[in-house]
Amino acid sequence: MIALTWNLLLALIWVALWGEFTAANLVVGLIVGYLVLAFALRDMPAFASYVAKVPRAIRFFFWFNRELIRSNLTVAYDVLTKTHYMRPGVIAVPLEASRDGEITIVANLISLTPGTLSLDVSSDRKVLYIHVMYLTDEAEVVRSIKDLERRVLELMR
Amino acid sequence: MILQIASTLAYILLSAALIFAFIRLVEGPSLPDRVVALELLASLTVGFIGVYVLVSGATPFLDVAMVLALTAFLAAIAFARYLEKGGHREDDD
Amino acid sequence: MMIDLLVGVLLITGAGFMLVAALGVWRMPDLLTRMHATTKAGVLGAGLILLGVAIHFFDTTVTVRVVAIVGFVMLTAPIAAHAIGRAGYFIGVPLWEGTIKDELKGRYDEAQHTLSSGPADQDKDAS
Repeated sequence: MIALTWNLLLALIWVALWGEFTAANLVVGLIVGYLVLAFALRDMPAFASYVAKVPRAIRFFFWFNRELIRSNLTVAYDVLTKTHYMRPGVIAVPLEASRDGEITIVANLISLTPGTLSLDVSSDRKVLYIHVMYLTDEAEVVRSIKDLERRVLELMR
Repeated sequence: MILQIASTLAYILLSAALIFAFIRLVEGPSLPDRVVALELLASLTVGFIGVYVLVSGATPFLDVAMVLALTAFLAAIAFARYLEKGGHREDDD
Repeated sequence: MMIDLLVGVLLITGAGFMLVAALGVWRMPDLLTRMHATTKAGVLGAGLILLGVAIHFFDTTVTVRVVAIVGFVMLTAPIAAHAIGRAGYFIGVPLWEGTIKDELKGRYDEAQHTLSSGPADQDKDAS
């Protein structure tokens, strides 16, 4: 968190030096600030983990957008063809995320990725109930959800 | 010119979407179905506002879209609460 | 010119996805499958249209608002779907007859409004 604050501060200084608050200046400032932090403070653990997280976050962003578009194409396919191909079902998936924030993000992302919709979390926060559109291969569905959860936890912890 | 055609097409598509969502809103069959249709109507309106802002250049309308998204979310949550903790169980029609 | 073309494509695809969402709500057989259509296609449709707006104006204040709206919709749409789906399940909205599995069945405690994680006979010792 402290590293992110420093990065923002450096970006703002960069913008102030240019004397003009524009989106382009801010983005360049963020990049320059990130590079400075990555090089100058690479020995401090708080900054090192931040430096490692940023590329992961960017990769996650693109991966997520690709999944969102893919999920929309599958929904479009479902809607525009006959509904008989659907094999909907509700399954329980064990959760590794334990904190409220983590569970919220995992559940939200599950809702936005293809063919799955998170319904509810059990009261003891161990199991997430998910509605799946194509339940032909349950192991495969659970595997992809676990993959998503791993990506989120990698980023959060 | 391109934008003119594109926005007109977008208006047509969104209007057709409004009709289908409205059919679901009228048909039901259960109250949650109607709430889902209402939520979709709200996000369709956000889309309408987006297209209108683009055509007219009246950017303050984006604030309207933001508030609309917010109230639609609150309405959905309120309906869900109401359904879960009391109220009538079956739709009266 | 190129930007106009890009914005136009974004507008039409966004509106198209919203139409798909509406068609889904109209055609899908039960509540949960309908929510699949609205959460995903609704979010992406509004997002694409607003992205077109941001590119067209290319202005900081507009971009900030667009990012706020899209972020907000992405955050709230799944939560609303979760709340409605849960409420619908609670009051017993029937699932489509093609549904092949339902692990949620019988795990809600009607009086306490809690949800157990295991089969119904196990949760007695947990409470």
